Amino acid sequence: MDILLGSIAAGILLGMVIALVALGLTIIFGVMDIVNFAHGEFLMVGMYTGLLTAQATGMDPIFTLPVAAVVGFLLGVLCYMGFIKFLLRGPMVAQLLGTFGLMLFLRNLALLIFGSSDKTVHHGILVGKSFDIGMGVIVPATKLAAAGLSVVAFAAVWLLMNRTKIGKALTATALNSQAARYMGIPTGKMNALAWGIGGGSVTVAGALIVNFWAVNPFMGLLFTMIAFAVVALGGFGSVPGAFFAGLVVGLIMEIPGFWDFFTYTFDWQWMADVPMTSLKYMWIYVAYFVIMVVRPRGLFGWKQ
Amino acid sequence: MKGMMRFGLVWVTLVAIFGLTVPAEVFAAEEIKIGVIYPLTGGAAAAGRELRAGAELAAEIANNVMADLPMTMAKNGGVKALGGAKITLIFKDHEGNPTVGADLAKKLILDDKVHGILGCYHSSVTKTVSAVCEQYGVPMINGSSTSPDLTQRGFKWFWRTTPHDKWFTKDLFELLKGLTEGKVKGVKAVQKKDIQNVASACENTEWGSLVTEMIKLFAEEYKYNLRKTLLYADKATDLSNEVRSLKAARPDVMLFASYTSDAILMIKTLKAEKIKAKIIWGQDAGFETPEFQKTVGDDIVGILTRTVFLPKVVEVKKLAGQVNAMYKAKTGNDFSGASARSFTGLQTWVHVLEKAGSTKPADIQAAANAIQIPGSELVVPWAGVKFSTTGDEIGQNVLGSGLIGQYQKDKDGKLVLEIVYPFDVATANMIYPFAAW
Amino acid sequence: MEAVRNALDFSDFPRIDLFIAGAVFLLFLIFPVFPHSSFAMATMIQFFMFSIYGMGWNTIGGYGGQVDLGKAQYVGIGAYTTGVMLIRWDVPFWFSMPIGMAIAVIWSFIIGYPLFRLKGHYFAIATIATSLVLKDLFTVWPFVGAARGLEISPIRFPPPDFLRLIFKEDIHYYYVILGFFFLSILYMNWFRKSRLGYQLRCIKDNEDVALSLGINVHWAKIKTYAIATAFVSMVGSFHVCYIKVIEPVDIMSLDLSILIALMAMLGGAGSLWGPIIGAGVLIPLKSYLKEWLGAAAGLPGIDLILYSVIIMVVSAFEPRGIWGIVEKARRRKRR
Repeated sequence: MDILLGSIAAGILLGMVIALVALGLTIIFGVMDIVNFAHGEFLMVGMYTGLLTAQATGMDPIFTLPVAAVVGFLLGVLCYMGFIKFLLRGPMVAQLLGTFGLMLFLRNLALLIFGSSDKTVHHGILVGKSFDIGMGVIVPATKLAAAGLSVVAFAAVWLLMNRTKIGKALTATALNSQAARYMGIPTGKMNALAWGIGGGSVTVAGALIVNFWAVNPFMGLLFTMIAFAVVALGGFGSVPGAFFAGLVVGLIMEIPGFWDFFTYTFDWQWMADVPMTSLKYMWIYVAYFVIMVVRPRGLFGWKQ
Repeated sequence: MKGMMRFGLVWVTLVAIFGLTVPAEVFAAEEIKIGVIYPLTGGAAAAGRELRAGAELAAEIANNVMADLPMTMAKNGGVKALGGAKITLIFKDHEGNPTVGADLAKKLILDDKVHGILGCYHSSVTKTVSAVCEQYGVPMINGSSTSPDLTQRGFKWFWRTTPHDKWFTKDLFELLKGLTEGKVKGVKAVQKKDIQNVASACENTEWGSLVTEMIKLFAEEYKYNLRKTLLYADKATDLSNEVRSLKAARPDVMLFASYTSDAILMIKTLKAEKIKAKIIWGQDAGFETPEFQKTVGDDIVGILTRTVFLPKVVEVKKLAGQVNAMYKAKTGNDFSGASARSFTGLQTWVHVLEKAGSTKPADIQAAANAIQIPGSELVVPWAGVKFSTTGDEIGQNVLGSGLIGQYQKDKDGKLVLEIVYPFDVATANMIYPFAAW
Repeated sequence: MEAVRNALDFSDFPRIDLFIAGAVFLLFLIFPVFPHSSFAMATMIQFFMFSIYGMGWNTIGGYGGQVDLGKAQYVGIGAYTTGVMLIRWDVPFWFSMPIGMAIAVIWSFIIGYPLFRLKGHYFAIATIATSLVLKDLFTVWPFVGAARGLEISPIRFPPPDFLRLIFKEDIHYYYVILGFFFLSILYMNWFRKSRLGYQLRCIKDNEDVALSLGINVHWAKIKTYAIATAFVSMVGSFHVCYIKVIEPVDIMSLDLSILIALMAMLGGAGSLWGPIIGAGVLIPLKSYLKEWLGAAAGLPGIDLILYSVIIMVVSAFEPRGIWGIVEKARRRKRR
């Protein structure tokens, strides 16, 4: 039983962080209809930022979030002004390949600067500590904190989008950029802002993840695909959709755990021989494919 | 006058003909080029640094005269049989990627025109590099790749000095058996049912996959209950699913085959999820590198690792101590299984070249198949180096052996590796069960 | 017979183009005669391989306008079919290659049917998803060697062996792939003038109009996807005989898929020469950058940084690729 509860707990906690990762992607997509293949690389930048800040200042990695947020915001705006702006004029083919180029660029820049070996956070008030929440379920403190802070960040962005004037302007641009422009909302600035917020939220997620996940320059792709699956499920452009879809995807990543639960409850050796853990990411891709074919609108989305 | 001139002309002509027809090698090739392919970047870069330093040290000793070392290759500067030709090592980085390794091997052979190859640590890379060498007929000596498969392919240009995983894994099960029979130093006989359940997690390339096969083989032979065998992606950045899967199997004994970064990640994740077993064992590689020891810190106490060399060996072998001191002066670390075997690999090259007396591939091949290096020459505690030439394993050193070490704290609180197997050379009581967290 | 005549008929190209192409192809034929390094030879073979990959991609991506970023899975199917059939059942290349193509095409129909309900970026991401799923499955499937991959042992299959396509010297591989290269060009020439080719162009321009004209859009796309798959799988089979070692993580990687798409996009998607030009620029660039600047020079990744900057610049400022620039220049000259 503790296997099942452990997996559910892990899935939900991870899911909250993943929701934050996907949030940036859905905002960018909502506002300007471009898919950022370099999204995972932004996350990777966030992870390195968190790591470096912690190492340089000796702060606990949890406190590096503001730094990561600023770096992410600037990175997003910079990418927009310096590159994405020009991509928007071209055909979709070019946009896709352009953001791929950005992905390769960031990935190899990181490779050049940091080298290819894994780096993790080794010190901090939360590292190595765990909570035993009963029934044999162990929750590492870092994951719990990351999940909690993700929810806070998520709520902050949601408030920004819905309760502030700027947020409403963004939403307006997302719904109909032409009409918004007629109302005096500058599309260019809104686009840049979307990239800024999108970039900032995903780097914050990165700074949280680096507490329990190792970072190397190549890990961006996995998270890009995870973010796509979340956004597809939740609906391209929907902020609350991203949250619930994030939880679902977090649980999908725990499929090996659920499989183990069945294996040992029924004690069927053939189940133990199936290499489920090696396939743990595959289910995410399958989920994306199935969702897009069966319900492309996602759960909450308003964009097709 | 005319006679003398004619005589001089004949003499000059003879010299010219002699110079043109005699192959260059006889005139003492000024250097012997050996291509060395190691993982100098990537997840095993820490090991790569050790490997490189080990080979460099061996070349240094071979190329210079060091009278106080009781080693044949230290007595001469360079390779005596080739007129004192010095060994030049050309290092290449395969980054842990078998395709890159194969490309580098091709370049070394075709463009750099090396006389032989040494490498590659990762069994998956050794596999492809040796295939290239076999294709071009260039001799390759392998010092530290332990997948049994490598010497079972019938290759004629591949020799391996290190013992392989079949023997090492058998050692482990012998240790477990000894535990139940009370043969282990400092531990009363343990009931078999207490260590009956076994689970393994290995990285999924050539090496880890075959270690898993060996574990399955011996678990059946020694009658242990192998509940789960996991293979994980060698470049994984998160192992929490794997670790929880291990936990679900509720093993008493956990076995790992990991390189450096995944070994560190595995142990940290185990600790974070508060998972442990009575026995935790690693199949060397990552479990032995200085980086692993430094990063894991005190949590490492009680972890077992297969190894081929540990600093305690110097208490047994004086030569090992001398060379270890040189190595420590060079790198700041003691010899480890990786560096010691890299050293031994290059040392074997020197001996083979001495025996061959030429750099022609066929001569090197013949020398390698006939060579016998006594154990007293080696820094590793083996009986010697002699390659098998018949049977289903060709090119495998039959005189090697392994050790099982356990991380413990000595009386000064420093972290050391104590020998727990073979039982008769154990240097300390074994810690059982595992209790570091 | 009309098909063959169509394939050989290049008359709708300007004379100068044909002249240059002819000269270049002649050079290809005699290249091995000149002194060359093993590196240059390997680069040339890579160039031909990627030209064919690019031409295949171009059918659905260029003429069809659907950006497919999952081609690597079919490379893998082709490579593994040939590899497995050779190692397990000693089937020569010339038999296993068509079989590989057939399997790849069947798989492309299976996923193509649902896949083509999607468009634009959703389609692109879905192609990535399917490619990654297949890669993960191959990584755990013992029949194909799982993560360890396959190795064609030089002991069991000694060169030279034309039937199994095992050679020691690269030059044999060079001429084989050159042959495939010429055949592919002829096929593409036929394709762009065929009914399917015109249908595709209509679909790319305006799908609704195409539908109203009675074109079965969905089916046309699927057929084209199958053609692209066949091309790619063919080169995959060649790959395994040339490199003799394959692993799922390499041969079915996303990086390979992107590279394939890039060849065509950079050179000019939707044109016959585009992928070839793209490959001709990108492959030597990539190889020599890596050689001079890459890990060897102690600066890992810098070659790919330059490479990615080129991609970014081209996609932002000249998305129609090099051939697009040429055509634009020509149009301006005509005025």
